[in-house]
Amino acid sequence: MRKNSGLGASLRRYEDDRLIVGAGSFGDDLNLPGQAYAVMVRSPYAHARIISIKIEAALAQSGILAVLTAADYVADGLKPVPLRPITVSPPDIPAVNADGSPIFIPPCYPLALDRARYVGEGVAWVVGESIELCKSAAELVEVEYEELKAVSDSRAALDSTTALLWDDLKSNVVLDGRAGSAAAVDEAFQRARHVVRLDALIPRQTGAPMEPRTAAASYDPVAGKVTLYAGGGSVTRPRGDLMHMLNLSNEQVRVVARDVGGNFGTKNYTFPEFALSAWAAMKLGRPVKWNCERIESFLSDFHGRDLAVEAELALDETGKFLALRSTNLSNLGAYPFSFIPLLKGTELMSSLYDIPAASARTMAVCTNTPPTAPLRSAGRPEAMFVMERLIDLAAKKCGFDRLELRRRNLIPRANLPYNNPYGMEYDSGDYPGVFEIAVELADMAGFPERKAESESRGLKRGIGFGNYIESASGAPHERAIVTVHPEGKISVIIGTLSAGQGHDTSFRQVVVEFLGVSPDAVEIRTGDTDVATVGGGSHSGRSMRHATTTIAKASSEIITRGTRLAALLLQLPEHQISFHDGKFSSPAANRSIDLFELARVALEQREIPEDLRGVLQATADVHSTVSSFPFGSHVSEVEVDIETGAVTVARYAAVDDVGRAVNPMTVDGQTHGGIAMGIGEALMEKCVYSETGELLSASFMDYAMPRASDLPSFTTHISEVPSTTHPHGLRGGSEGGVTPTLAVVCNAVLDALAEFDIDHIELPLTPDHVWQAIASRSSR
Amino acid sequence: MYSITYHRASSVEEAASLLTSFEEGKFIAGGQTLIPTMKLRIAAPSHLVDLRHIETLKGITVEKSMVTIGAMTTHAEVAGSVELHSVCPSLCALAGGIGDPAVRYMGTIGGSVANNDPAADYPAAMMALGASIVTNRRTIVADDFFKGLFETALDDTEIIAAIRFKPPVRGAYAKFPSPASRFAMTGVFVAQADDGIVRVGVTGAGLSGVFRQTGFEQALTNDWSQAALDNVSVDESMMLSDIHANATYRVNLVKVMAKRAVAAASGMRK
Repeated sequence: MRKNSGLGASLRRYEDDRLIVGAGSFGDDLNLPGQAYAVMVRSPYAHARIISIKIEAALAQSGILAVLTAADYVADGLKPVPLRPITVSPPDIPAVNADGSPIFIPPCYPLALDRARYVGEGVAWVVGESIELCKSAAELVEVEYEELKAVSDSRAALDSTTALLWDDLKSNVVLDGRAGSAAAVDEAFQRARHVVRLDALIPRQTGAPMEPRTAAASYDPVAGKVTLYAGGGSVTRPRGDLMHMLNLSNEQVRVVARDVGGNFGTKNYTFPEFALSAWAAMKLGRPVKWNCERIESFLSDFHGRDLAVEAELALDETGKFLALRSTNLSNLGAYPFSFIPLLKGTELMSSLYDIPAASARTMAVCTNTPPTAPLRSAGRPEAMFVMERLIDLAAKKCGFDRLELRRRNLIPRANLPYNNPYGMEYDSGDYPGVFEIAVELADMAGFPERKAESESRGLKRGIGFGNYIESASGAPHERAIVTVHPEGKISVIIGTLSAGQGHDTSFRQVVVEFLGVSPDAVEIRTGDTDVATVGGGSHSGRSMRHATTTIAKASSEIITRGTRLAALLLQLPEHQISFHDGKFSSPAANRSIDLFELARVALEQREIPEDLRGVLQATADVHSTVSSFPFGSHVSEVEVDIETGAVTVARYAAVDDVGRAVNPMTVDGQTHGGIAMGIGEALMEKCVYSETGELLSASFMDYAMPRASDLPSFTTHISEVPSTTHPHGLRGGSEGGVTPTLAVVCNAVLDALAEFDIDHIELPLTPDHVWQAIASRSSR
Repeated sequence: MYSITYHRASSVEEAASLLTSFEEGKFIAGGQTLIPTMKLRIAAPSHLVDLRHIETLKGITVEKSMVTIGAMTTHAEVAGSVELHSVCPSLCALAGGIGDPAVRYMGTIGGSVANNDPAADYPAAMMALGASIVTNRRTIVADDFFKGLFETALDDTEIIAAIRFKPPVRGAYAKFPSPASRFAMTGVFVAQADDGIVRVGVTGAGLSGVFRQTGFEQALTNDWSQAALDNVSVDESMMLSDIHANATYRVNLVKVMAKRAVAAASGMRK
C-alpha cells in the first residue's frame, strides 16, 4: 500500500471525480435559508474626499433592507481591518526605516470613511432581497465627492508633493529601508572591470481566480455567534481579524471555507466584504450573501507584483560576480497591507549565485490603486527577472558566454549551507546540478536547426535560460489532529486550505506513509474554525511541509501509544512489537493486531490502563520559523514575428527541486500552472492604470490572460535534493513554476532579437512593445 | 440587468411595428454584444424585439454570381456553408474566426453589421466585397452604410434583411487579434473583383471604425503583389491608440496584415 500511495506516489487526485461532475461546493453554491443579498457601491474616483452620502432614496426602494456606510460602522464601535505589512515569520530582511522612524500604519475601514483612495474602494453596502434590487438601489446612493489629485505610478508617487494619500505621512513613502552592506558593495564596484545596469518596471498583475471572491454570513442570536462562509487561503486568519473588527470573542466567530476556485494569494486577506457581510447579518438577523462580479474583481482584488527596480551588477575581468546593488520600489496601493513581496524578493535577488557583496534600498509607497499583496511566489519572479536579465546583459555587453557566466558564478554544492549577501541562509541543494539538467533539456545542439526552420517561416527564434531560488516559510504554527476510528477510518483535521492544490490527495499520502493504511481510509478535514481551530492556512509553500511534519508527529504518537496497548493485548514485551502496514505485530510470536481493531479496544475495553483508554487520537503542533529554499532552472524557446512583434513560446522545460515530491504528478501540475502564469506575466498580463488612477483594464476584454492555445507542451523534471531544514526533506513545490518564467521568456525574446541589439523591452512583451523596440533599433 | 419585456417577432413587418410602439425598444439578433452590455447595465432597453425567429431573414443563397446571406444567418452557418465556400471561401474563413464557438453559434451577420463594432470582422469584408446591405426599406452600399464607431445609416426601426455581394475573383482576410479580447487589433480584407478592381477594408485600426484603404486599393489594382504595398503610406493620424497598441504600431499592422491577406488570396503561405 505504502509503496503505491505513500510519499512519492503519483496518486490520482481524490477530489477530481467530485469536481469534474460539478459536485464541488463553491461560494455561490451556498444558499442560506432566508438570505438577503449585498452589493457594494464603489468609488468612481481614484482619490476623493467624501463630503456626504445620502442613502434615503436607495433605502426607500422596495426590497431594500439596509444601506450601510462607514459612519454607521464607526458608530457601532467597530474597528478597521488590522494591517500587518511585516512578515509574520522570520527570517526576512528587516522592514525598518533607515532614519529610524516608525512604520506608518493607517486605519483601513471596510468602507471608505472620509476619503476614497482608489477606484473601486467601497463606500456603501446595500443589502436587499435580490442582487438586481440592490444594484438598482445602489445607483440611487448619492455620494458627493470632492476630487483630489491622484497618483498611480510608484515612481511618480515617490516624487509627488501634491498627490498625497495620507495627511499624517507628509509623503507617500511608507518604507525606506536598507539591506546588505553598502560599504562592501561600493568597494567592489570601485575595483570592478564591468558594470551592467537594468532599470525596469515589473508590471502589476492580478490573480484572476476562476471563482471570484465571495462572502456569506449568518448570525445565531441565541449563541451570539456569527458564521462567515468565505473561501480563501485560510479560515483562522479571517476569524482573528473579524474578532478584532467586530469586537467578538473566539467563540463568537466561525469561518467556513468549502471549495476554493483558485487563489494564487489573491484571496489571502480579510476583505472588506467579509466584515460587512457579518456585520449586516448581525444587524438584520438574516443571512447576507455577496458575490464579487468580474469587474469588481479587477477593481478591488488585491493585486501583485508592481515593482520598479534599478539594479547594477559588478563583475571582474573573468566574469566573476563581485557585487549587486539595487533600489527596489514597491507599489503598495492605497493601504500598506504587505511588504512581503518587496522583502522576500529583495533578500533573494542574488539568487543561486555566489555574490560576495550586495546592498539594496527597499522602498514602498502608497498610490491610488488597490492594495498589493503576495501573489504566487511574491516578489521572487521580479527579483529573478532582475538577476537573470543582468547576467544576459553582462554576457552580451562584456563578451561572456551566457551559460559559462552562470556556471562560473553558481554556488557550488560544497558551499552549502550558504549565507547570501542579504543574510539569508540557503539550506541545501545542487544548483549547478539543476542548471546542467536544464541545459541538457535545452538541446543546444539541435537549436541551430530549429532556428533555421523558424527562419524559413520568417520567424526569429531565441533561447533563454534562468535559474531561481525562492523561500518557503509562511505562518509558523500548524496543528494536525489525527484520529483512528474503529470503523476503519482515519481522520485528519488540519488548518490549511486547498484552493485546488490537491490536499485531499497528497495529505492522504502522508497518512499512508506513516500509518500504513489505504488512502481510501483517510478523511482530510479543513476549512472550518469550529473543527480546525488553529493553523496557518495555505501560502508561501507551507501546506505540504507543515502537513507532513504535523501528521508524521501525530502518527508517531499514535504508534507509540498503540505499541504499548498492542504489547498488552498480545501479551508480549513492547520491544517485540513493530508497526507495519497498519498492523502492530510480532513476527517472532506470529501475532498481530490491526490499527483499527486496536482503536476499538482502546475505546471499548474498560480493563486497560487509563492512559491507553479512549479515542486513539493524537494532536501534533509544529512551530517552524526556518525557511526552506526551493530552487531550479528553466529554459525556453520563443519565436518572434518581427513584422508584428508577436511572440510565441515554442518550447519550455523546467527543472524544479522540491526537496521531496509527495505527489510528483500534482507537483508537475502546479509547475504547469505556474509556467502558464509566468508566461502570461511575461507576454500579456498587466493591470493598466491611467496616471490619475483610472483602471483601463477592468475586464477580460482588456486584461489579457494566457489561453491553452498560447502555450506549448511543457517538459518538467523534478529534482529531489532533500531540504535540511525540514525533517522529511520537503522544500515546497507550489511556486517554482512561476518564479523564473518571466526572466526566462524575456531572455529568450531578447536572444531571438539579438541582431537588433536591444537591452530592454518594456514589460509585458506585448506585440506592440516588442515591435516598438525593434522599430526603434531598425530606424537608427 | 434591468428588467425588460421580450417579444418574439415572426415577420419583419411585425418586428418593425412592435419596435415603433415602444419608447425604449431595441432589436435583438444573436445578442452577443447586446446581452453582455445589458448585464453590465450599460444598455437598458425596456423592450427587446427578437429577430432570430423570422424565417425570411435566414439562409444563404448563391445564384447568378450573386451571394445573398440572410441577416439572421449565424457565423457558424456562414463558416460552414459549402455553397458559399465554393464562391467566396475568404468570408467563410472570416466567420470561422469570429469569437469562439459559443459566439459563432449565436451571433449573426446582420447583428454584427448593424452593431458596427470598430473591431468587428464583418464590416471589413462588407467594405472590401463592395457589399450591399438590404433592409426592409432600401438597399445601402457598404461605403454609405458604416458611419463611424457603432454608427450606421440605419434608421431606428429599420431592419437589415440580407447582405448581398458579387463573389470576388480572389480575396482573403488577415486578422491580428488583440491578446486580450481576441477581437481584431487590426484586420484587413482584400478582395479583387472580376473587373480587376481591388478593394481593401480595414477594421480594428481606424479612429472612426472600419475604412477603405484606397492607397492600397490603387496599388493592388495596378499590381497584385505584396511588393506593390511597400511604398504606400498609411495615415497615422487616422489610427486608433489604446492600451494594447499605439497608432504607429497600428500603421504597421495595417500594412503587414494587408500583405498577408494578399499572400493568402494568392495561395501563398504568408
